[in-house]
Amino acid sequence: MDLKPSTEPSRRTRRPPVPVKIVIAGGFGVGKTTAVSAISEIPPLSTEAAITTVAARVDATGEVPAKMTTTVALDFGCITIDEALKLYLFGTPGQDRFGFMWHDLSQGALGALVIVDARRINDCYPAVDYFEKVRLPFVVAVNMFHGELRHELAELRWALAIDAGIPLVTFDARSKLSVRDALLAVLRHTRSRIEGA
Amino acid sequence: MTPEPDGFDAPALSHTRAFLAAGRGQDGDAAGTANDSAVSGLRPYLLTSGRAEPVDQSLEIESQVLTTDLGATAYGRLSFEYREIVRLCEDTVSVAEVAAKLGLHIGVARVLVADLAALGYLVVQRPTFPVNQDLNLIERVIRGLEAIH
Repeated sequence: MDLKPSTEPSRRTRRPPVPVKIVIAGGFGVGKTTAVSAISEIPPLSTEAAITTVAARVDATGEVPAKMTTTVALDFGCITIDEALKLYLFGTPGQDRFGFMWHDLSQGALGALVIVDARRINDCYPAVDYFEKVRLPFVVAVNMFHGELRHELAELRWALAIDAGIPLVTFDARSKLSVRDALLAVLRHTRSRIEGA
Repeated sequence: MTPEPDGFDAPALSHTRAFLAAGRGQDGDAAGTANDSAVSGLRPYLLTSGRAEPVDQSLEIESQVLTTDLGATAYGRLSFEYREIVRLCEDTVSVAEVAAKLGLHIGVARVLVADLAALGYLVVQRPTFPVNQDLNLIERVIRGLEAIH
């Protein structure tokens, strides 16, 4: 069977929207998928992406380190900005060994939101290091999922060793408006970086 | 030739090697229809003729994909995986959504979408670059998010 060529509007006049994206990074269980769910207009989808890692062991030939492909889940959602522009949010685990996928995700991204659990701030270091290295504008957002902040933000900033120019905000990954504001912080930071360049 | 002393039997060849099974179909889109029902159990890259890289390696996963009239017309002649994509892309979706909704590995979805686009069956809207230097675009996204309540 043929799909019925649709009558209106004609495909020839339809143009897909231009996609833009923001990367949502952070350690496991830090609230990335929760944040995407809170604001995405579609239920978050998950797909598998391959990452290539160099295995610590030596393969059967005894010479060359084996390259291994590992699969990692990639969660994402989207927000229609206007009829010609669509924002994608890609949530990616923030471990060192997922660096390969970060390249794909960071390429052309408007910026990144690095989510931090104040009890386990070390988990976000690889993401912070990576975005600093590739010079992708990012904001660090402490997820107040547990209600209270045990440290002052200034202490956290010191512990994270992030530059004073990098915004550090608190938010609640379960709240749509709170996630919206965190994303706005990313975009405003990106804007100021461009304007300051 | 003597049998293996421990009675070892070569296991039945349970699946076709990707590179052997795949070659057909690149020069004619009718290939593969006989295999429609057998596809799901195969290893992912069998679906992509053994290639792990898309024709266009740089196809971004947020790229938007829409079926063309040509693609809709070709629907009945396409093999199973291609057909599912052409059907899904009747409404614009991203490459990532193609992967998620069809249960494909993201790398496989990339390859298949790039193939269909090369044939003119899909139109692909890629991000504009350098997107993160475009103030007007960023302002638009900011306004769009501010409108969320």
